[in-house]
Amino acid sequence: MSDQLRDPREIVRDEMFMRDRVLAALKEGPKTVPEIAEAMSWPVHEVMFWVMACRKYGLVAEIKDPDGDYYQYELVEKEG
Amino acid sequence: MDYDVLVVGGGIAGMESALTLGDMGYSVLLAEKEPTIGGKMILLSKVFPTLDCASCIATPKMASTFHHPQVTCMTYTRVKNISKTARGTFQVALDRQATHVDLDKCTGCQKCELACTVAVPDQFNFDMVARRAAYIPFPQAVPKKAVIERHGTSPCSLACPAGVKAHGYVSLIRAGMFDEALELILEAVPFPGALGRICYAPCEGVCTRAELEGALPIRKLKRFAADHYYQKHPKPKHGPPKKKQIERVAVVGSGPAGLTAAYHLARRGYSVTVFEAAEKPGGMLRLVPTFRLPPEVLDRDIANVTALGVEIRTGERVEDPAALRLKGFKAIFVAAGLPKDRKPALEGTDLANVVGALGFLRQAGSRERPKLEGKTVAVVGGGRHGIALDCARTACRLGAKQVVLQFRRSREELCIFESAIDDAIEEGVTIQFHRAPARLVGLGDKRVRVESREMLAGKRDVSGRILPGSAGKAAEALDADLVVLAVDQGADLGQLKGELQTAGMKTLAVDPRTLETRVPGVFAGGDVVSGPSSLVEAIGTGTRAAACIDRFLRGTERTPVELPALPAVDPKSVLQRQARYSRLPPAERGKRPAEQRRADFQEVETGFDEAAARQSAARCLDCGGCCECHQCIAACPADAIDLGMRDREKMVEVGSVVVSTGFRLFDAGLKVLYGHGRFPNVIDAMQMDRLLSPTRPYNTVLRPSDGKMPDSIAYILCTGSRDCQVDNPLCSRVCCMYSVKQAQLLMGALPMADVSIYYIDIRAFGKGFEEFYEQAKAMSVRFVKGKVARVEEGEDGKLILHYEDIAGGGKLARAEHDLVVLSVGLLPNQEALGLFSGGVLKPDPHHYVHEVDEDHSPARTSIDGVYVAGASAAAMDIPDTILHSGAAAALSAAYVERLKR
Repeated sequence: MSDQLRDPREIVRDEMFMRDRVLAALKEGPKTVPEIAEAMSWPVHEVMFWVMACRKYGLVAEIKDPDGDYYQYELVEKEG
Repeated sequence: MDYDVLVVGGGIAGMESALTLGDMGYSVLLAEKEPTIGGKMILLSKVFPTLDCASCIATPKMASTFHHPQVTCMTYTRVKNISKTARGTFQVALDRQATHVDLDKCTGCQKCELACTVAVPDQFNFDMVARRAAYIPFPQAVPKKAVIERHGTSPCSLACPAGVKAHGYVSLIRAGMFDEALELILEAVPFPGALGRICYAPCEGVCTRAELEGALPIRKLKRFAADHYYQKHPKPKHGPPKKKQIERVAVVGSGPAGLTAAYHLARRGYSVTVFEAAEKPGGMLRLVPTFRLPPEVLDRDIANVTALGVEIRTGERVEDPAALRLKGFKAIFVAAGLPKDRKPALEGTDLANVVGALGFLRQAGSRERPKLEGKTVAVVGGGRHGIALDCARTACRLGAKQVVLQFRRSREELCIFESAIDDAIEEGVTIQFHRAPARLVGLGDKRVRVESREMLAGKRDVSGRILPGSAGKAAEALDADLVVLAVDQGADLGQLKGELQTAGMKTLAVDPRTLETRVPGVFAGGDVVSGPSSLVEAIGTGTRAAACIDRFLRGTERTPVELPALPAVDPKSVLQRQARYSRLPPAERGKRPAEQRRADFQEVETGFDEAAARQSAARCLDCGGCCECHQCIAACPADAIDLGMRDREKMVEVGSVVVSTGFRLFDAGLKVLYGHGRFPNVIDAMQMDRLLSPTRPYNTVLRPSDGKMPDSIAYILCTGSRDCQVDNPLCSRVCCMYSVKQAQLLMGALPMADVSIYYIDIRAFGKGFEEFYEQAKAMSVRFVKGKVARVEEGEDGKLILHYEDIAGGGKLARAEHDLVVLSVGLLPNQEALGLFSGGVLKPDPHHYVHEVDEDHSPARTSIDGVYVAGASAAAMDIPDTILHSGAAAALSAAYVERLKR
C-alpha cells in the first residue's frame, strides 16, 4: 500500500465516475469489497468509499451473514 | 429588543440554555451555523457511563428546542458581529445563508439528494463516506430539510456569455448521464454541436484545474454530449410548447443571435418567423469550413429551433424591418450580422483575383468551388477569430500548391484557437507573422504581386493589448494566383436602415439595456450591433434579446435583463480544500493526420468516446459545490428548490448573549507518527463513534482499508492532549471514558474482537466512572500502560504499534492490530472570541472563553451580559455541560431582568 493516500475529497469526488464500475462488478453476483476491487483492478481502500456510498444511497446492500471476516454486497433491485 | 437572549450555537449547551430560558418565559433566538441543531452529541453512539443512546437523548431535546414557543431557531445562520449598545443590549448581525431550498415546501423526502450528481465528503460522518451537494445532514436532523451547498458560481459556468451551465453538464457526463447533460445545455442554447466544435471556450480559460496540470476540455465535453445525443436522437425529442402566446415575433437573420432569440421566444410560446436572405439558415456558421463544423451538425442544431415551431423563411431579404409590424408582428429582432467583406485601404484591392474572405468561403462552400490546383494563394490579414486561417486551410484542401498567410501582428494575436495555427502549419500553410501588404499589383496574366513590408512588434497598451507596430523594411514580394483579404466585415446597412439609426455608420444603434432600437418594438442584437463577436457571445445576445422582447410583449419593466448569478468561487479557496492532489493530465486533443486532412473536407478534430469523456469530466474539482445540473429541480416533488436564493443579512437587538459554540477536535493528522491520513486503518475516536452509531456510514464496524471486520483494535489515549508537542498541555477530560465506552460497545458489536487501550493513566473522576472502567476490564478489555511512539503499516493493512511498556519495566515493545483508534483531545473553538466589537470577549490562557469568576459565578465572561455555556469555556462532558448551561441561562435571565427594570 502506498505511503501517501489520495485526499479523501478526491476519492469521494470520483464516486460518480466509478460508481457504474462498482455496480458492474456486482452484476456477476455478490462480492466482498476486496473482490470488487480486484474485479475493478483498483486500490481496495478507495473502492471501500464507493461501495459504502452505494450502500448509503440504496444501490447495494450487504448480505446478512458475513463470509468469514468480510461482508458480501449485492445489487439492490429497484422497484418497477 | 427583538429577543431577550441570543444563543450562539445549537449543540447540547445551546439547546439546554435555550430551553431553560424559554421555559422561564424569555424569548430566545438560537443561531446555528449548520443546517441542523444537535451539535456533536447527536453524532455520538452512546453516552458514558450509562451507555444510554445519544440519539435517544438528543433527538427529543432537538425537537423540543426547535418547536419551543419561546425559541426561534435559525439554522444555516452565522453570527457575524455582536456589539453592545449604550442601553446594555446587543446589536447582532446575522448572515442567513441561502439553503436554496424553500424550507416551508421541503418535505425532507431526500429525492434531491438522490438525484444530485456532486459527491463530497460527509462532514457528519467525518469524511468516511460521501454525501451530496444537495443533502439532509442525517436522518434525525432538526429541521429535517434539505440544503444545497453552494460556494458561489463555478468559474466555468460564470464565464459563459451564453449562460451555459458548464459545471452542470460536466458533472452529468462524469455521472454517465449523457442525455441529461445535453438537455441541460439545451436549456440555455440551441447550438451544442457548433459550440462543442468552434466555441473559443472562455470556460476553459478560467478552469481551476488549469492551476494544477491543465484545464478540463469543457468544449470537447460539450461536443461529446451533442454527438452522443444526436446519434441517439437524429430528430429533436421536443416539440412546440403547450402554452401558446398570441403575439407573433419576426427575426431578421438566421445566424446564432437570431436563431437563439427565436429559440427562446418559441420556448416561451410565441409564434416566431425567421427571415433569412441566404439559401440556407445559419448565418456566419454556414461559412465555417466543414472540416471544423460539419454541415449536418449545424443542421441538427438548427432542428432544435425549428422543432419548437419556428418558421425559417430562407431566400427572403427584409428591406425594412420596421415595416414588418404592418404584417402583424408585434416585435421584430434584427440580427442580420455582418455579411459583407470590407476592403482595406490598400492599392490593388479591385484587381480581378483579389477577393474577400467571406466571398471566398461562400464560394468554397458552394457547388462551384474555386479551382486552385497547382496555384499560389496569398491570404492577407487575420479576420475575426482566425477566419484567415479558415481561408488558408480551405485553399490547401482545394489543391493550392502554395498557401501563404501574411499577418501584421504576432502569433498570439492571430487566432484565439492556438491549436488552429499548428493545424494550419501541419497542413502546409506558410504563416508570415509581422508582415503586411503595402500594395497589390496586377501582373497582366491575372496574377497579383503582393508587395509587403515587415512590421515592427507593437507595444502593449494599458489593457495589455498589443498595439499594431509601425512598418519596417520591404519584404520579399509574393506573386499569387489568388489573394484573399481577411481584414474586416461589415453590415448590410443599406438594406436595413429604414427608420433605424446607425452607430458610426457601421452598426445599428440600440439602447444597451433593452436592445431596443429607436423604433418601438424593433430590437437588434448580435454582430449587426456589437461588431464582430464570437459565436458564444452572439448566442448570449440572442438569449438576452428574447428576454427583452418577452418583457416588452408582456408590458413589464424592460430593464435590467441580466441573468442572476452568484459571484464566482475564488480558485484559491477551491484548491485549499484538499491537502494534496493527484496529477491527472488532460486527455489528448485528438485529430486526424495532416496528410489525410489536406485531401478532404472531413472534420479535423476527433471526439471523445464515453470512457474518455467520463474520465476527462472526472477531473472537475466541483468549484461551486452545487454544479447547477438541475437534477434536484426535476426530482423535487414539492417544487422546493430555488437556486436563485441568496444569503440575507439580518440585524436583531437582544438583551443578553449566551456563547455555546462548543469545541474543536484535535486533528489527528498532526501526530504524524501515528499515521492518520497515511494508513486507512488509523482512524480517530469520533470516526469510531460514528461507526458505532445507529446512523453509521458502514453496515457495522469495518476496517476502512478493505471492509474487514477487525479482530484486534487498539486505542491510543491522549492523542493531542496532555501533549506540549502539539501545544495542548490540558487533559481533555472525556477521552479516557469515551474510549472505555467504545471498547465496551465494540465487545458487543464484534464479540470475537480483542480491544487494547494504550494509556498513560486512566482518569475516572466522575460519578460512576471508576465502576465503568472496572466493568470494561471485566469484559476483557486489555489496558496497556504505555506511551505509543509510532505506528507502522505491515502486511494486509495490519498496523504495528511501537510503544514503551511502562508496566513491563519500561522496555520497548511492539504489537500488531487490525485497526487503531486515536483518542483525540478537545480544543477550544475560538470563533466566538472574534464576534464582538465594542468590548473584548477575553480568552483564558488556553484560548477557551475566560470565566472571570469561575468559582463564584461560573459562565460569567469579560463582557457584562455575555455568558458562556459548555465546552466553549473548557473541555467538559455532557452532564457538566448541561449543568454549566443552566448556570449561563440563569445569569443571562438575571441580566435581562436588570435591563427591564
